[in-house]
Amino acid sequence: MTEAARFRAVGKRFGAVQALRGLDLGIAAGETLALLGRNGAGKSTTIALLLGLDRPDDGEVELFGGVPEAAVRAGRVGAMLQEGQPVPRATVKELVSFVASTYPRPLPWREALELAGIGELAERRADRLSGGQAQRLRFALAVAGGPELLVLDEPTAALDVEARRAFWRSMRAYAGRGNTVLFSTHYLEEADGNADRIVVLDQGRTVADGTGEAIKRAVGATLVAFDLAGGSTRGLRGLPGVLALEVRGDRAVLRSSDSDATVLALAAAGLVRGLSVTPASLEDAFLTLTAHDSAGADARTDASAGAGTGAGTGTGATPDPAQSYEEAAR
Amino acid sequence: MMLAYVRLEIRRTLRDTGFVIVGIATPLLMYVLFTNIGASDSAKDSMDYARYSMIGMAAYGALGAALAVGPGVAEDKARGWLRQLRVTPLSPFQVVVGRALTAGVTVLPAIVSVFAAGALVNGVRLAAWQWAAAAGLMWLGTVPFTLLGLGNGYGFSAQTTGVVSMASMMGLSVIGGLWFPVDAFPHWLASISRWTPTARFGDLGWSVLAHHGPGAGTLSVLALWLVLFAGYAVFSYRRSARTV
Ligand SMILES: Nc1ncnc2c1ncn2[C@@H]1O[C@H](COP(=O)(O)OP(=O)(O)O)[C@@H](O)[C@H]1O
Ligand SMILES: [Mg+2]
Repeated sequence: MTEAARFRAVGKRFGAVQALRGLDLGIAAGETLALLGRNGAGKSTTIALLLGLDRPDDGEVELFGGVPEAAVRAGRVGAMLQEGQPVPRATVKELVSFVASTYPRPLPWREALELAGIGELAERRADRLSGGQAQRLRFALAVAGGPELLVLDEPTAALDVEARRAFWRSMRAYAGRGNTVLFSTHYLEEADGNADRIVVLDQGRTVADGTGEAIKRAVGATLVAFDLAGGSTRGLRGLPGVLALEVRGDRAVLRSSDSDATVLALAAAGLVRGLSVTPASLEDAFLTLTAHDSAGADARTDASAGAGTGAGTGTGATPDPAQSYEEAAR
Repeated sequence: MMLAYVRLEIRRTLRDTGFVIVGIATPLLMYVLFTNIGASDSAKDSMDYARYSMIGMAAYGALGAALAVGPGVAEDKARGWLRQLRVTPLSPFQVVVGRALTAGVTVLPAIVSVFAAGALVNGVRLAAWQWAAAAGLMWLGTVPFTLLGLGNGYGFSAQTTGVVSMASMMGLSVIGGLWFPVDAFPHWLASISRWTPTARFGDLGWSVLAHHGPGAGTLSVLALWLVLFAGYAVFSYRRSARTV
């Protein structure tokens, strides 16, 4: 498969903050890729570098086989940036048809509006749109040029549930025309439901890379909990299958990739008071991947190690993401 | 594609009530009022003033229109529109040139409307070449101010730019003698006035009224300001390129 974009050991620093640390990432042409991470993970920085809005301090970023600026100038890219309000004193139609006119092979402006679901707002002044409508106008501006690569930075942030659903339909319709899409989000649900592949970003590096299924498997889909009854948590992290430990009140909650083995080990140790085994939600899984607080540091390392076996990249010696993607896809 | 940008920006500018007030209505109104109220000693004096002030107020309006590019750019910057433009095939350089060309069009209503009021309301009579030369020279003379506006817009936040533009417009207009003739100034102020870009900008028109056209002094002072403001615009633009 040809590649639309590639990050090679990319580092980016803002003063004391290391926003990206040796990021390796390939985006295959035609795929829909979700960049998943919580606030400050480095999603917007990754996108800014991909679009040539900023330059990496280390490593290199390639877009359609060249420097990002060249691909942008050639009209192969459209983007909806995270921040941005519609400018005043112009209508929706004027803005969309203007942006379209700067591209070599644009969509007809009406089609861009229809795709974004704001066909009836063509004559409305852009600064008189509601938050959700403005968001969809920004989507229309991103697709107006008919770009091969569509980049969306947290595109559903201001939308309610219904509008979100409509938005993702629009996105998939655009992707369905054979285009490549990269979007960022901090909801695993959204990533899982709308992307072919998910790259989990945390503290400026990838901590997992694969399909939604593979990631869920890798992070441990089961929670095993029991009452500590004042007992210590010592040694619990070392039990078979345990990826992470959290203490909620007086209960120890273990995230396990192999709940049978974990339960047997707990039983052997006599730790079965109030024992429960429940499936973890997607959000729980995501939090495990990116947890830093309390048991955090350990949980994160554990989760990455787990992810390494199933779906993707761990810390330290990072395997080729494209390769791990294929592993995960099998 | 840059033309499409210029077209969009001209529309947006002309829909801006603030722009229409500052860049067209105010100079026109001030011209008509200043030249028609207050007793004048003689018909000749009042005709002199109608001619002088026609240039002064056209210059004042054109100055306001040119500087208005600043708050416009600053607002687009604040709203992330300049950044959005950076992910289209339009280059940032084309955007800044497009803005300058836009100002080249939006300064015209001030000049044309005040001239029209001069001819139609105050009965100013000039030879055809004088109308054309005065308008043409003043149109070209707005370039330094457009650059000053761009420098402000790229350099400051939206709010600061508004204040800076307003202050530079008022200050430069008054000291440059666009509102009241420099003859009325105290000596020290008059000698400062000669070095302002606005006094020389006005002189582009006044010198045509005096049948000779701008002299070397006016042209070189304007050239100096042109270079200065161009440097300022380039500096602000470069600096903002890192953050936009
Ligand atoms: N322009 C900037 N100046 C200083 N710090 C920045 C800047 N942009 C991003 N950062 C920092 O870099 C880190 C990653 O930010 P970002 O890429 O915006 O994360 P995300 O989009 O995943 O929320 C954060 O710690 C953020 O505070
Ligand atoms: Mg972000």
